[in-house]
Amino acid sequence: MSRVTIEVVVNGQPHRAEIPARRLLADFIRDDLFLTGTKRGCETGVCGACSVLLDGEVVKSCLSLAVQAEGHEITTVEGITSGGELHPLQASFAEHGGFQCGYCTPGMLMAAIAILNESPSPTEAEVRAGLSGNLCRCTGYVGIVESIMAAAEKMRGT
Amino acid sequence: MTMTTQARLDGDASTIGRPTPQVNAQEKLTGRALYGGDFRTPGMLHLKVLRSPYAHARIISIDTAAASALPGVHAVLTGDDTPDRLTGVHRKQHRILATSKVRFVGEEVVAVAAIDEDTARDALDLVRVEYEPLPLVHNMDEALSPGTIEVHESTGNLSIEYKVERGDVDSAFARAALVHEATYETTSQYPGYLEPMATVAWVEGDGRLVVRASTQTAFLQRNRFAEALGLPVSAVRVIQSTVGGAFGGKTVEECNSLICAWMAYRLGRPVRFVNSRLDDFLGARSSPAERIWLKMGVDNQGLIIAKEVKILADCGAYEGLATHVLQVSLVRSDNMHRYLKDVRLHGRLAFTNHPPRGAVRGFGGPQAAFALNSHMAELAEKLGIDPVEFMRRNAVRAGDTTVHGFELGSAGLTECLDQVSEGIGWITKKARRPDTGLKRRGIGFAGAIHVSGNREMGNWDGSIVTARMTTDGRVTLSTGESDMGQGAYTMLAQCCASELAIPVSHVTVLPTDTDVSPYGHGSIASRVTILAGNAAIRAGREIRGRLLALASETLGVPEGDLTVSGGEIFATSALPNRRLTFGELARMHIYRHGGEELRVTATYDPPTFLAMSRPDQYGNVAPGYSFAAQAVEVEVDTETGQVEILETFVSDDCGKAINPLAVHGQTCGAAAMSIGWALYEEMKFQDCQLLNGNFADYTMPTAESLPNIQSGIIESLEPNGPYGAKGASETAMLPGAAAIANAVYDAVGVRIRELPITPEKILAGLREQEATAAARERRHA
Ligand code: FES
Ligand code: FES
Repeated sequence: MSRVTIEVVVNGQPHRAEIPARRLLADFIRDDLFLTGTKRGCETGVCGACSVLLDGEVVKSCLSLAVQAEGHEITTVEGITSGGELHPLQASFAEHGGFQCGYCTPGMLMAAIAILNESPSPTEAEVRAGLSGNLCRCTGYVGIVESIMAAAEKMRGT
Repeated sequence: MTMTTQARLDGDASTIGRPTPQVNAQEKLTGRALYGGDFRTPGMLHLKVLRSPYAHARIISIDTAAASALPGVHAVLTGDDTPDRLTGVHRKQHRILATSKVRFVGEEVVAVAAIDEDTARDALDLVRVEYEPLPLVHNMDEALSPGTIEVHESTGNLSIEYKVERGDVDSAFARAALVHEATYETTSQYPGYLEPMATVAWVEGDGRLVVRASTQTAFLQRNRFAEALGLPVSAVRVIQSTVGGAFGGKTVEECNSLICAWMAYRLGRPVRFVNSRLDDFLGARSSPAERIWLKMGVDNQGLIIAKEVKILADCGAYEGLATHVLQVSLVRSDNMHRYLKDVRLHGRLAFTNHPPRGAVRGFGGPQAAFALNSHMAELAEKLGIDPVEFMRRNAVRAGDTTVHGFELGSAGLTECLDQVSEGIGWITKKARRPDTGLKRRGIGFAGAIHVSGNREMGNWDGSIVTARMTTDGRVTLSTGESDMGQGAYTMLAQCCASELAIPVSHVTVLPTDTDVSPYGHGSIASRVTILAGNAAIRAGREIRGRLLALASETLGVPEGDLTVSGGEIFATSALPNRRLTFGELARMHIYRHGGEELRVTATYDPPTFLAMSRPDQYGNVAPGYSFAAQAVEVEVDTETGQVEILETFVSDDCGKAINPLAVHGQTCGAAAMSIGWALYEEMKFQDCQLLNGNFADYTMPTAESLPNIQSGIIESLEPNGPYGAKGASETAMLPGAAAIANAVYDAVGVRIRELPITPEKILAGLREQEATAAARERRHA
């Protein structure tokens, strides 16, 4: 099996690793870097539990090869707190019932960050559309949408 | 129990009834929570299973030589390697891996343990199994026809049959002013938890088996592993991982944990088994498909006085918990009708070559609620009365003993009806002129009953909570019940914190570890709030009592002159300096002659009855009964048959809402799950082969496909409940499907009696309408 060496920055930390060429990004993150916050729910790109940010854009890490991340910056759920403080979205998810079992949550947070990067004051419909690649079986999405709307308001400082 | 009610409690500290973030928010939101498949131990092997491609076949031979020879493979095991005793919930029907015969597509035949998942998968490709296909039992009708091949010998494909009759049903029907009968069909729903089932198991140096699994029922799992492996219960330890959703699917029916436990025990090495999503679709227990025939008789006041129910259900290849599910479908919904005395029930559960069915959120309730509420809407129309009014007129009330012996300490069905009517604007919407365009709106509604707890196992439905006060004055709780996301630990922490007037953050709830947690049946039957909540209150009070006694003795102040507040106990005004912190008291409790750690164990076993032990199923099975109602407004596109849900309002009578944030979350999640089941979720089969075992083909609701679900809480205070609370996680799953069917009927006049409510069925109904209208016109022309 061919092996390749990649250099990536994950959550601000540079990593150099020799990996099999067919290694999935999800497996690289979970099994090589031990960042198990990124989940696997379907392995087919449908559920969004494995979502991470690649240079700020959401990608499904179960559909990407680790080599595709070469030279890029990856952010996982472990990388969004700063100085021990929860990201406003994380705090909002706690306060507004944005999670229950929490399994979809890392992926939802990534999708939410991307939504707010795109549009800092999204409408509810925009938030729902932005979440359409992420499944949640627990919440009926009500708490998640509320959490994102409330966080958006906080982050805008209004 | 020490009662020291005179001592004053700081009521402001209590979070009971206040929206409270989950106690495990931090770990879940930062990605630190360790779910079943996140855990690893040194030397861990990875397990994969080969599943049967046949729905019914004899296993002729299995050749594992090539797979075993693959580098990195540690074991390739077959059914012959498994213990020869059978396993199963009630009826023991299969070995850990199939031997001699397979009975469904997906049945586990070979298990491989290898150094990594890729190697294990590669090894599976090298296994050769020769099967001799057998004729299939395609469906439940075929199953029970004479002369059909049997899935299990000498069963006639009948798993169980229930017959219950009360009163004089025939004369009640004879008295009825209106009788209506119809048949309804429901399909099998996959639980759809986002975390596929996952387990890590290993053997300790002393030979004991440890299983860390994503489970709702750690202790029941321990019993099951011990039984299946022929081990003493004391030689098995089950630790509950963080659970990524369960919905009934992670109890004692799934086989991931059992196979993993056995492999680890057999190899003496750590083994991890994480289901792929396809594994999970094939191996999980989905809900039984049911055909429900209903006949109801109503008197001239619109009161339901006679009912007959016949249910035929498909439990697939192995019965698991499906027998109980059928019992619930059969018996429970009758208990919503206040004036019903005469009822006849007949239920049969058939073995087929479908995958085994079992417990899924609502546990038979959703199937019955779909039939009942559709039927009541049809009856109301015939009676010429509003369906909400019809249900209200027949709604049970607090203090009633129902037809099957449920004693209702509280009942908020009527209030749920009022709240959803108000919430959706029922009266206004009903009064508006029917739409005549291509898109037509309609409203529908449904109501439901569910249990909070259910005495069904060994005549004990108790819950035990152990509380320890650490020397810093904080509390650690242990329980045998599980948090799978519903917020059980937050609720327990709130109850205990409230009794001690300390912040919720001062209470830690430990995940179940059967070596140290108190025994418990786990999180099933919406039992945790009402049972464990009571136990947590008792534990909190017991600790408070001990603290007060010690403080009184130490300070020389009578207990009645002491106040408990802010983690301290102090003497009221006159003696300002006499105070002790909980930490000081906890240390004093140890550091004295004969001292000990401040640790209490409290149990609550409700005053209920094991009705399942009686052939007539009569008795008060639960300490409380929850009710729910849902109203829906849909828009049906008459060209495409598409149903859009414009608005929906769900009310849950969960008694006191200890944590409204969690209750709303449960209600909305359950409603979403029922909307999925109503409109498109369905395990689809061709010749018993699953056609849609992935999330692209088995569609679950997305944020975009759902409306903003509105939820309301009815707090009918339950005398048996902790602060008046009842269960809140399943009831809201029940009314959705019928509410939508009724709304579709209201919109376009098409009555769908078979789930799911697809565009094709609606279009077929519309075409039929047109044909009838055309025929009528021709007759009149
Ligand atoms: S695991 Fe990647 S989308 Fe589901
Ligand atoms: S919180 Fe459980 S799947 Fe979303």
